Amino acid sequence: MSELLARAAPEAHAAAHSAGGIAALAEGKLYALQNPFALDGRVSSYPGSARGYSVSNCYLLKQDDAALLIDTGFGGDEPAIRAQIESLIAPGLPLSLFPLRLNEFMSINNVETFAGHFNIETCYTSNVDAALWFDFGAKAEGRDILASMKVTAVTRADTIELGKNGRAIDVMQAPIRLIATRWLYDRATRTLFTSDMFSHDWRDTERGPWIVTETDNDSTSLRDVRSFMLNTRYWWLEGAPTDSIRRGIGEIFDKHDIETIAPGYGCILHGRKVVARHYQMLDDILKACDKSVMVSRYVTRDEER
Amino acid sequence: MLDKPKTTNQTKTMLDTPVAQRMPREIAPGVFWIGDCLAQRHKGKIYHGYNAAYLVAGETASCLVETGHPKDFPVIERHMNELFARGVPPLKYLFITHQETPHSGGLGRVLKTFPDVTLCGDISDYHLAFPQYEHRMRWMKEGDEIDLGGRSLMAVEPVIRDLRTTWWGFDTRERVLFPGDGFAYSHYHEDGHCGLVAEEATSLDLPDVSAVFADLALFWTKFADMNVYCDRLDQLLERLGVKTIGPTHGLPITDVKLTVPKVQEGLKYAALVPESGTNEVAPLTGAATPAA
Repeated sequence: MSELLARAAPEAHAAAHSAGGIAALAEGKLYALQNPFALDGRVSSYPGSARGYSVSNCYLLKQDDAALLIDTGFGGDEPAIRAQIESLIAPGLPLSLFPLRLNEFMSINNVETFAGHFNIETCYTSNVDAALWFDFGAKAEGRDILASMKVTAVTRADTIELGKNGRAIDVMQAPIRLIATRWLYDRATRTLFTSDMFSHDWRDTERGPWIVTETDNDSTSLRDVRSFMLNTRYWWLEGAPTDSIRRGIGEIFDKHDIETIAPGYGCILHGRKVVARHYQMLDDILKACDKSVMVSRYVTRDEER
Repeated sequence: MLDKPKTTNQTKTMLDTPVAQRMPREIAPGVFWIGDCLAQRHKGKIYHGYNAAYLVAGETASCLVETGHPKDFPVIERHMNELFARGVPPLKYLFITHQETPHSGGLGRVLKTFPDVTLCGDISDYHLAFPQYEHRMRWMKEGDEIDLGGRSLMAVEPVIRDLRTTWWGFDTRERVLFPGDGFAYSHYHEDGHCGLVAEEATSLDLPDVSAVFADLALFWTKFADMNVYCDRLDQLLERLGVKTIGPTHGLPITDVKLTVPKVQEGLKYAALVPESGTNEVAPLTGAATPAA
């Protein structure tokens, strides 16, 4: 059993059988803030025909002297996420924000509210001019709060540090994406944060479980993952030159020791064997979609495969 | 009939007058272009893209197409109020092409400010972001129409899209297409393009600015065969008899036969340029600042 899993297992399994909540992926260091939503055809990141439940995942990385929140969740979950954060960090602890996608509600919807509530140290973004991208009118004084919030721009290949001890978090441009997206890698917990990728596992009930571990009977098949991708954000993959995308993803998995894949939606994938299996399924799908095998064609909006 | 770009002072040039002060601009009878530009850094330069919204005025009701960028709600609200003061029918509908926040970020404030408005389209995600307004959201499927009195706004096939939940809008009376992220390209602030339609911006290098937007926002267009997408686009324009195009990010197109082939060439060229990634850290010298 890995160090991470050994530390995380009790909490993780507790969360896995609740309707969302906080999952301690590494006690004292990394928490998933999971909030469920119904799949009823009204969620853009899932196939229109998907039914059941998924969760939105925000992640809190914690040090004694600082914390970092990855994505801020949907506005409807704001009270729950705020309470989850408050239960994990001391009042006044410097908290930084890192929304992985600048254009989607799930990532940025609560920046404004949290900036007015917590002691925000900085907001990391790929766009230094992004402060007013978060202005959704949640607070009357929201524009002033955002204008005064410190924004730190990150490049496409960067490293940021959390706390005085310099916990290193690598920043990378997502090698496969629909819109501008960053992935992060937390060296301390060997966790890769993949935003809207690897979000293909959902459940029949809102009770989850929301973490897939090596001891689970993970029935997710290559066909499931392929269908998920083609029916959501990657309808254009068939017949595309996917070799460059495969290389980009492969370099990340070669370079980093990844024990957990932490997506923005759906089940967290935990354990080296689980990570290896899901990475391999993705790579196999991309290989099978390559232009050397398939022809690019027009795909209509509601075509499901 | 296209109205003239306006300046606040005749002695000022287009460059001196922020685009937010030059709107609204009527691009077809009863179709008003409102909103502001958004400056983006790319490859060491500053590019401007529109973050347009459009007000479609019927005989009994108006529909807002897109909400503008989150930073732009004060501008959008001011432009709409100016139009309502001129006698444009009240706002009753909001149609958003898709859920990305540069298109939808103002919806909470639109629904709060205009309590009689119904949000229409593919309404995915909005109930998660703004559950307090879920009862004012109405699904549309392809071919569904919003009746504005004497004209309607129809949900039509989104040929160029990113999120799977995209619909394009179509004004049935003046044959105006609202393609959201379709026809997306930047323009040159320094050349005075802000506030101009495509046919007026004669110095615009469409392949260059199309490539910029492909890097910033349409990653997939570098991987799919854009010839088949352009063919499908031609079919849609023909089938609908489109006369005017009101994109969210590109310059409005008032001569479809003249300009669409150029935009398509830009799109095809952009698809061949190696992907160079999204936003970078660079000084924002001379860029437009968010309008109040």
